[in-house]
Amino acid sequence: MPTLALPELLVLATALLVLVADLFVDDTGRKRLLPIALVGVVGALVALVALVPDSGELLGGRFAMDPLGWWFKLALLVAAAGVLCLAQPAWQGQGTVDATLPNRGEFLAILLFNLAGMLLVPSARDAVTFYLALETATMPLFLLVAWRRDAVGAEAALKYFVVGALASALLLYGLGWLYGLTGTLDLALMAARLPTTPAAYLAMGLVLGGLGFKLTLAPLHTWAPQVYTGAPLPVAAWLGTASKAAAVAALAVVLYRVAGPHAAAWTPAVALLAALTMTVGNLGAVVQTNVLRLLAFSAVSQAGYLLVGLCGATRDGAAAVTYYLVVYVVTNLGAFAAAAVVHHHTGSQELSAFRGLSRRHPLLALAMMLALFGLAGIPPLGGFTGKFLLFSVAAQAELHWLVAVAAVNSTVSLYYYLRIVRQMYIEPADAAAPQTPTAFLPGVALAVATVGGVVLGVVPWFYETVRVAAARWP
Amino acid sequence: MPWATAIVVLPLATALVVLAVPAGRAHLIRWVALAGTGAHLFVAGLATWAYWQAATPDAAVARTATTTKLYLVERHSWFPSLGIAYLVGVDGVSMAMVLLTSLVIFCGVLASWQVQDRAKEFFALLLLLVTGVFGVFVSFDLFLFFVFYEIAVLPMYLLIGIWGTGRKEMAAMKLTLMLMVGSALILVGFLALWWAAGGKTFDLTQLAQFRYDPALQHWVFPVVFIGFGVLGALYPFHTWSPDGHASAPTAVSMLHAGVLMKLGGYGALRIGVYLLPEGARDWGLFFMALTTVNILYGAFGAIRQTDLKYFTAYSSVSHCGFVLFGVASCNLLGAKGAVLQMVSHGVMTALFFALIGMVYGRTHTRTIPELGGLGRVMPWLATCFYIGGMASLGLPGLSGFVAEAHVFLGGFFGNAWTPPVYTRTLTIVATLSVVVTAVYVLRGLGAAFQGPVRDPHYLHLNDATLTERLSTGLLVAALVVAGVLPGLLIDLVEPPLFAVVNRLNALPGGL
Repeated sequence: MPTLALPELLVLATALLVLVADLFVDDTGRKRLLPIALVGVVGALVALVALVPDSGELLGGRFAMDPLGWWFKLALLVAAAGVLCLAQPAWQGQGTVDATLPNRGEFLAILLFNLAGMLLVPSARDAVTFYLALETATMPLFLLVAWRRDAVGAEAALKYFVVGALASALLLYGLGWLYGLTGTLDLALMAARLPTTPAAYLAMGLVLGGLGFKLTLAPLHTWAPQVYTGAPLPVAAWLGTASKAAAVAALAVVLYRVAGPHAAAWTPAVALLAALTMTVGNLGAVVQTNVLRLLAFSAVSQAGYLLVGLCGATRDGAAAVTYYLVVYVVTNLGAFAAAAVVHHHTGSQELSAFRGLSRRHPLLALAMMLALFGLAGIPPLGGFTGKFLLFSVAAQAELHWLVAVAAVNSTVSLYYYLRIVRQMYIEPADAAAPQTPTAFLPGVALAVATVGGVVLGVVPWFYETVRVAAARWP
Repeated sequence: MPWATAIVVLPLATALVVLAVPAGRAHLIRWVALAGTGAHLFVAGLATWAYWQAATPDAAVARTATTTKLYLVERHSWFPSLGIAYLVGVDGVSMAMVLLTSLVIFCGVLASWQVQDRAKEFFALLLLLVTGVFGVFVSFDLFLFFVFYEIAVLPMYLLIGIWGTGRKEMAAMKLTLMLMVGSALILVGFLALWWAAGGKTFDLTQLAQFRYDPALQHWVFPVVFIGFGVLGALYPFHTWSPDGHASAPTAVSMLHAGVLMKLGGYGALRIGVYLLPEGARDWGLFFMALTTVNILYGAFGAIRQTDLKYFTAYSSVSHCGFVLFGVASCNLLGAKGAVLQMVSHGVMTALFFALIGMVYGRTHTRTIPELGGLGRVMPWLATCFYIGGMASLGLPGLSGFVAEAHVFLGGFFGNAWTPPVYTRTLTIVATLSVVVTAVYVLRGLGAAFQGPVRDPHYLHLNDATLTERLSTGLLVAALVVAGVLPGLLIDLVEPPLFAVVNRLNALPGGL
């Protein structure tokens, strides 16, 4: 079934097209490359929804599609489309200089190659493909983070690179141990043969450590705030959405596909990690005055919530995690898109840049507020329904303390989200602030993210469909 | 006719219409809001009649029932895999609370007639908030309940933060966060109840059929009770309330103290005691003691206040203590008293905050020593204040007396498993608050409204306008009707309370 890999192929083809076209166009023409990349990504999205079945195999089983993988890919493609949309003004050099994305064609190609690697993660069925997919999903990010080529960006990229290389080594070492313990690279066989020896714990710990870096699990999250602020804003959005989604997909592969039979053994550790991550992330975010640092810590805490759903390795848990991931990507894109628009207008990443936004841009402020409330888990938004489902997984595992920690953490997170809301709605507008209209593509992304955030929360179809998919997984 | 849905959707629809009106036309916005809430009062009245028709034949059965029967039920599956449904309906208690809310929001819109600044957002948020309140009262699915609960709490942040006075940002944040911690506890309790009952349904009527393990009840009950208690101003989790009420604009104080705080008592009774009778048995005395502190602390706190809003807010803490005291006393009189007190205090405190807003709008001060002699200048407002004050100190003939009498009798008679010496001692101590209340009400009102006119400027002030007379008059009328004809309200709220109490009485053990 060649259509199975159609989204990946379309993304790769677009990447090559953009890369080659970049050689032949001048600066004006280069501005048109972003819409082309966007068309490619949206095409892949349409292909995924319309043509790709949610199960099947290619290449002798090395590339497989499964029902939840389909949803992970959907989240990734949505994130890519959203990030391209919100990057448009920066790419075209509009707005303040600080916010401009240095206009070089490779950027789009690297982003798309990165996306292709992420799309491969949930389809990997053996350890080598899995590792390669993850590397492709990580390496290009080092380049993207350094894109501004200034001191801040370079420092961020270096930090990201050093920690990332370490994580990659941990992951590879862990996979090596797993291979040594089970004598196979096939993930399904690995699961069947995995012993419960200390060596297996060590191997799983190493793999978790490697993935934990990507997913910003505490205490491996420390790179995030600096990298988010050092990277161009669209790259920060990309790190906060797609990169997270790929990491969750990878974690689901490892915890369910490989270690699923031993769920009872690792659930306490994952529960602790979840509690720690969300607490550290939230407490870190409380004191931030830079929006991107705040969103970075917020993303750390969200990773903690996502972990809650993995406790117990149940099918309901898989459904809840997948559903929340889609919600999270959509909602967080909304927040990043609003932050990007404000950044383009004001050139500032400080909270005070949002002062009086509700007077200047009522719709933009509303979209930002709904996105933040979604992240905080306020009904009837998708963020609430998703968190409720995740918490219900913890309740099913009788981890009532974790539900309490997570629910109280949501309140803490509300504090710092409300600080932005306060700037937008309560503080008076700055008379000198510019009244720039919102650009078209970021506007579209915001509208889709806002409506999507509400629809996902209220319409049960999405969750029920994911749950049916989870019943046939892994 | 889907009455319960109409009760929820009407304010939401009004909010949407308000949003559609151009921002400059503040007058039209007010009228839309007033028309919407007026229509709601009418719909709520019709729904009560429909409920009455349906429930009257079952009156005899209800006395011995152990589960509440719902009327005007609508049920649609929502997230079927978790057993979440859109399940709305009413019983006597929720009907009474809907009527109360409908009255308070109508008067609240009238009392907000002067709001000019961002009137569109103000009324839209106010209506959104009240949608959440109505939703809580008619939903009988725990998920739906929780959704509405949060919708009822969150708009408060903006309403206080934007239109409030004083240290409004701090007050708004404190209020929101404390209430959200409360709702986090509630969520923990709900999920535990859901999973312990098999994880198949959030339907309150079905969960009520399930017999929870006493060990589970023992830890879930305090979690849920404190979670709701935060909103019900349970000591020591009440600290958001004085700051929040003092900073909020008039209509928001009215709604918040009048109705929103009642969600706490309502939830503690409806979900805490009803679903977890054994938990209530284990913890009843503890919470009776805590709420006794509540009652006295609020009353003594009120004595010390000079700001009229803080004065009323502390008095609210004391009066909301009666609600939770009644709930915690675990018997029919106490439960009835709690519900009556919810209605009585709701009307009374809405009246107070409306009047304070009106006085403040004229004198530009809320400090009691700076007022004085206002009774001569604005006799209508002063009279209403006095009637509210009399209801507050429990004068017979007004609603407060009926409610407090029930609560105290309930506490005094106690229950089968607590040694009477404890419940009686606590009740006697709590009753002392009536004296304290009389002290602060009479002193406060005397200082503000009697004696010589403090400031010559006050002599030129006007008495209540027509809209103000309408809103305060309605609330006063409600106080009087509930005081003179308490049977109407008791007949309405009693049937579902039998179920709560029969479950408690069926518990094994006792002394």
